[in-house]
Amino acid sequence: MLSVGSIKTGNSNQPSRRAVLRAGALGTLGLTLADLLKIEAQAQSAAKKPKSIILLWLWGGPSHLDTFDLKPKAPLEFRGPYSPIETAVPGTQICEMLPALAQRADRYSIIRSMHCDSNDHGIAGTIGLTGSDSGAKSLGGKILNGDVQATHGSVVSKILGFDPTMPRFVTTGKFLDPGKKRIHGEGGGPLGAMHDPFRIDYNIDTGVELPQLQLIEGVTADGLTKRKALLDSLDRLAKKVETSPAIERLDSFYQQAFAMLTSSNARKVFDLDQEPEKLRRKYGKFRFGQSCLLARRLIESGVRFAQVNWSSHVEPIEDTGDGGWDMHDRHFQQFQDRHAWMLDQSVSALLDDLQDRELLQETVVVAVGEFGRTPKINGKSGRDHWHHCYSALIAGGGINAGQVIGSSDPRAEYPIQQPVTPSDLFATALQAIGIGTTELTTAGLLPLGKPIEELL
Amino acid sequence: MNRLFLSIVLLFGISPYPCPAAEPTRQDSLIRLTSDGLFKQRPSWSPDGKFLAFSRHKGSRISIWLLSTEDGKERRLTKRDEPEYDAVWHPDGKTLLFAFDKTSPNQGDIEVYSIDLDGKNFKPVVTSEGKLSHEESPACSPDGKWIAFTSTKDGNQELYVAKSDGSEIKRLTSDPAIDAHPCFSPDSQNILFSTNRWGDLELAKIDRDGSNLTRITDSPGFDDYPAWRADGKQIAWTSNRDRNLEIYTSGPTGDEPRNFSKSPGIDNFAAYHPDGRLTFVSNRDGVFEIYLESK
Repeated sequence: MLSVGSIKTGNSNQPSRRAVLRAGALGTLGLTLADLLKIEAQAQSAAKKPKSIILLWLWGGPSHLDTFDLKPKAPLEFRGPYSPIETAVPGTQICEMLPALAQRADRYSIIRSMHCDSNDHGIAGTIGLTGSDSGAKSLGGKILNGDVQATHGSVVSKILGFDPTMPRFVTTGKFLDPGKKRIHGEGGGPLGAMHDPFRIDYNIDTGVELPQLQLIEGVTADGLTKRKALLDSLDRLAKKVETSPAIERLDSFYQQAFAMLTSSNARKVFDLDQEPEKLRRKYGKFRFGQSCLLARRLIESGVRFAQVNWSSHVEPIEDTGDGGWDMHDRHFQQFQDRHAWMLDQSVSALLDDLQDRELLQETVVVAVGEFGRTPKINGKSGRDHWHHCYSALIAGGGINAGQVIGSSDPRAEYPIQQPVTPSDLFATALQAIGIGTTELTTAGLLPLGKPIEELL
Repeated sequence: MNRLFLSIVLLFGISPYPCPAAEPTRQDSLIRLTSDGLFKQRPSWSPDGKFLAFSRHKGSRISIWLLSTEDGKERRLTKRDEPEYDAVWHPDGKTLLFAFDKTSPNQGDIEVYSIDLDGKNFKPVVTSEGKLSHEESPACSPDGKWIAFTSTKDGNQELYVAKSDGSEIKRLTSDPAIDAHPCFSPDSQNILFSTNRWGDLELAKIDRDGSNLTRITDSPGFDDYPAWRADGKQIAWTSNRDRNLEIYTSGPTGDEPRNFSKSPGIDNFAAYHPDGRLTFVSNRDGVFEIYLESK
């Protein structure tokens, strides 16, 4: 095993004699001194980097049969019109409409045996985001027994502790709703509002939106698309914060938000104009794409859990975002016209960008919705809700990539191997960033799921 | 793009925009017609070539726009907020058919509507009958007598034809597969469409009376969104047989298909200019724009 961690170069920028000698010995391995120093620098750098999670929340529930678990041999009424294609991992196939992700299959693993206990957006959404249906609200407004649990990002915030300059947990996107009513389980719940997500959004017309700015009279997010306007607005905000009577009424959570917004370093994270236009285009100049880019900037700036909501509402053809994945009708039309390439482009760009910045090893990326969709195609060329079996993608953070976890039956109706719950999925993601049973119980939290051993 | 500029572009095939090329030879032969970077779909040329209709997505909105080749200006076809898309021209050049979602939000209720070029006479042509169904992807026959469209009204997405006023609807297909995106042959006798009845998506041809179903493409993967050139000698469509979505062309029987677009990006939604040049949507420059083959 190559050990470079103990090599010291002294106070100067020159390599030590010992390092030079070791490098000479390493020459037999084909490594140069420059290689050695680079490896050392990378190792030291990696050791210092905290780990984070980016959750790509595919609200509405993507079809597993048309993304990561195709069944080309199933009857026509089930299989759908798309073919599987080979990926960078021999033997692993995904949908032909996701060609860029296929090329990157060696950077993520697929779970094909996800399942949960409800096919109701409201309840399944709460399960997906908290690991429990406790206190969930159904589409019909019925509240399930128990208290709403903290969402995964809030758990991270709680365990890592409050940071006065940078929130631990940020969500891009407005509140999730399956029908104009918010679901339960997007915030800190019993952990308190201090661990609610700090919310931002990306609007195709106005750019980055910071809803918290609107808490102080006279300050709006208008015109924040341009860098100068953003910075000028924040300068004005800083002065207002100091003198506003509103600030006295704010709790520590919002004081944190304002502290961050008025910090010259922290606020730069919202300025997407600092990114090269080429990179912004690579992510995709639509809401989800730019939100993924924001997530990377947030992680880079110290946020430890960035949640990107694909949309606010579940329906695909409307809403404040680009429409959700709830394609009861015209599923294939909408999938191939828009959702498929958007997902393919943005997630691929995120994986590339994280890798290029040497952040992928420290950042767990999870892409999943609240459930899948019915294997049998309905009479409106759509697929309905299906919670018995669906798929998830997980990458980065040291997670073992290139694997397929679990499997489904020939029609993708039920898991037949290694069933995985949303709690298991997030227990795995948390474990990968160093939050396991000990950390959870020490913080007074109950571990809800079992980490997937093959991924860790 | 101003009037003089666009006229020069369309007359001489000179592009006003730099087009960084994956394959310069092919890229040099394309003209970019739009420049806002938003996603667009289904371009359709007016019979006289003076207008290009297309659908533009902006956030949650999908709306139809008209690009005038005379003054280079764009305008919306309607002032409505509901989703409207996939406009095609009636051969008289005065009317467009399009898909209109009259009950969005939720899953919507898509129907085929028509509207005059000046925005007047907005009216339904083919609608849901009783229960919720979706009628969309309209196509007009070049002789102006017929329309083709898809509908889910009989419990599966099938292909239908009707007279141009929406009367005398006739179902052409009956298969558990999904049939989509019809377009007429220049003589108005045949309809090209996509179907997955043989497994994956392929192009097929059927007579206007529902007879003589013929398979046109036979390749692994996706073949969809067909278009038929006015001289009847060439068809174009989207295929991923080379792994990413490209515009392919061939003779009307699918013989000797060739990759026309050849870019590493997404190339989709082929349509023909009245003079036979191909138009399509591509993100070859990093964002989705509409391109026209130069002369």
